Amino acid sequence: MSDLDRAIAQLRACRPIPEPQVRELCYKARELLIEEGNVVGVDAPVTVRIHTIPALRLALMNGLQICGDIHGQFHDLMELFRVGGDVPETNYLFMGDFVDRGFYSLESFLLLLCLKVRYPDRITLIRGNHESRQITTVYGFYDECLRKYGSANVWRYCCEVFDYLALGALVMGASNTLGTSTSTSTNESGTQLTEEEEIEIEILNSAGDVMSRIPRSMAASSDNHETVNSSPLSETSRGAPARSGPVGTGATSDSLGSVGNPGGAVLCVHGGLSPLVETVDKIRLLDRKQEVPHEGPMCDLLWSDPDEIEGWGLSPRGAGFLFGADIVKLFNHRNNLSLIARAHQLVMEGFKEMFDASIVTVWSAPNYCYRCGNVAAILELTEDGSNGGYIPRANGDVNRTGDLLGPVAAGGQISGPGRRYRVFEAAPQDSRGMPAKKPVADYFL
Amino acid sequence: MSASQIPNLNTLRGPRLRGRGRGGGRGVPTGSSDQHSGDQVVQHTDQDATVSRLSAVELGYISDPFVKLFVAEGAQRRFPIINRGSYVRTSAIDVLVDRFLRTDLSRPKQLISLGAGSDTRYFRLATAYPQTPLLYHELDFSTNTKQKIATIKGSDLLRSLVAQAHDDDSAVQISEDGTALHSKSYHVHPIDLRTLRPQYEGSTPPPSLPGVDPHLPTLLLSECCLIYLPPVSADAVLKYFTEYIFPRTTPLSLILYEPINPSDSFGRVMVSNLAARGIVLQTLKRYSSLALQKERLRVMGFTSGQAAADVDFLWEKWIPEEEKERISQLEMLDELEEWTMLARHYCVAWGWRDGEEADTQSAFNGWKSLDVRRTEALV
Repeated sequence: MSDLDRAIAQLRACRPIPEPQVRELCYKARELLIEEGNVVGVDAPVTVRIHTIPALRLALMNGLQICGDIHGQFHDLMELFRVGGDVPETNYLFMGDFVDRGFYSLESFLLLLCLKVRYPDRITLIRGNHESRQITTVYGFYDECLRKYGSANVWRYCCEVFDYLALGALVMGASNTLGTSTSTSTNESGTQLTEEEEIEIEILNSAGDVMSRIPRSMAASSDNHETVNSSPLSETSRGAPARSGPVGTGATSDSLGSVGNPGGAVLCVHGGLSPLVETVDKIRLLDRKQEVPHEGPMCDLLWSDPDEIEGWGLSPRGAGFLFGADIVKLFNHRNNLSLIARAHQLVMEGFKEMFDASIVTVWSAPNYCYRCGNVAAILELTEDGSNGGYIPRANGDVNRTGDLLGPVAAGGQISGPGRRYRVFEAAPQDSRGMPAKKPVADYFL
Repeated sequence: MSASQIPNLNTLRGPRLRGRGRGGGRGVPTGSSDQHSGDQVVQHTDQDATVSRLSAVELGYISDPFVKLFVAEGAQRRFPIINRGSYVRTSAIDVLVDRFLRTDLSRPKQLISLGAGSDTRYFRLATAYPQTPLLYHELDFSTNTKQKIATIKGSDLLRSLVAQAHDDDSAVQISEDGTALHSKSYHVHPIDLRTLRPQYEGSTPPPSLPGVDPHLPTLLLSECCLIYLPPVSADAVLKYFTEYIFPRTTPLSLILYEPINPSDSFGRVMVSNLAARGIVLQTLKRYSSLALQKERLRVMGFTSGQAAADVDFLWEKWIPEEEKERISQLEMLDELEEWTMLARHYCVAWGWRDGEEADTQSAFNGWKSLDVRRTEALV
């Protein structure tokens, strides 16, 4: 067993590794990260489907798991690995905010870093706004290092690594569909749908059971905001067919836009867009090896939020901007993207698609700060080896070419990738024999 | 964020015992019964709140030169979201108290603070409103009053504000056991609130509160206090004042600061997290919304007016823009979603009865122009 494997084993048990080892790890990590561009290219792994051998199928089904904020909730990170599949069998992309707020920022970040060094092609880490000297001194990581090592050295080593983390990732070759399902369902209009459907969105619980499955036709035709954001834990969506639009409105802009252009890339970034960044290539030109600045494109990428506004707005966070649907759609069109995946904002349901599924927020810290009562989610993208790309088709009889959704299609919104959300709750307090230090959340007393 | 906002790392070097080790050396007897240890937990919420307040003071949210005198174990830095909450709570209650005191400024007025603990309001008011004749009472467990009185005795600044116009300490009387204090303007009553009730029990009258003037316009204050009592006791405390101590002719009001909304996911986690610390919010279920708080105030006898607003609303509507700007400069708040959620789970509710006075001369006229529109819409 190599030192690195030993360190991984120790960190998996939520035990910090000695300071000299942290120093060496951080050095190695920097050497690795310095080779990465500001925008890391990531391939959605080929999924091999062997339906007849369930156990094997499970092992191979795992695609790329895209994760949002972790915030030092170590036991929940372990739950995430349990739900998403272990490393190195499963590929992971973490969109930053590994540290602060939770009580195990150190163990969480060092474990991810160890895994990165051990399996560089299996793990992608990009920077969040909390991977910063300034923020970590306010939100807990600095204190935690001081408490656990008696000096700020480890904090310093980690901050040096933060400066080398990529700012974004581009996932290429994600399949447009999660496969097909032949299903009979009754939609709201009472019409029976018996049809083989391309599955665009699938929502799984932590046991891997499908809680809802949304065919492309429905996902595209109904208001995504509501459809996909319906709480996976709510009574209405549990096991019930997904809310859908009126029957027959299946063929929409999506299919038009995706003709000849199946599966645009997925841009992953912690916060969002910047008025100073019109193209992904512009991100590649930034000098990222520094503390997160207080303003400018690098700051915006880590701090901004999508919002129901037009154009750009001031962010109440005091850094970054708010940006509306028009900004996202233009950016995606210009950069040949089908989706932006980002983190940064707590969403009670774990994930939230906005703006006709052109952007999604993924949040991976369940019961955030041991206080918020939210569930978490990770987003799985796969490349389906048996299907060289989604072949868009109109759904039967109604072809809405030229209707009012047409102009959007003409604007070139690319059909989104198949998206599998795995939703999970906070790990039980004393799970897996972890030391049970009861987290104490602050309240006003 | 300017360079001046980069936190001074040295301030973080002290012991960080968040939520633990409170009240060390406060002479709290070891509880033998459940009842006793429950009381101890409630008594310790005072130190938790005081530490939060000190954090907000040290970072410049609130100005309060007195609070540091009441924290034994040194400053602990709270998260920005908690600091902002402490700030809004203080600011909103300050607005209400200020409007009460400024209505007919020279008229004598009385404040009664329930479960006051280490609260510094008396000292702040005595400094800020020297021209208002003020009669101030604090009620708390004797464990807490003893600690407070010891702190006052040990501080020249506090002692001088208690003695006020009198230049000798003899104007301040402290009981032999050190749990009660009486001066011309300031009284500390060691009392278990659960003993307060409006009726006789057999031939035993309800407890008395020496120094309370039953005829002065009076403001009762409960900052996270009554919520720890069983609902029956909490109601009895209020009726003790509205029905027993004060005749119906006396203008009387109440300000509550309390958690609300226990039933959504944040609320459920809040209840269970606090329960894990032994803290039970006993009236939370009964008075779980702004509407129910207002109804409570009416039923308890504050019949002339009732209002309630959650902390999120108070931040948005009561804090002036330039103050918001100043606050946002103090610390970067990267917890917006969480802040909104947390802030919607705390409310300030206030109600009053005018007593004999005509509506136009109400001692609480200053409250009638306050913005509570959104809360009305919510009800």
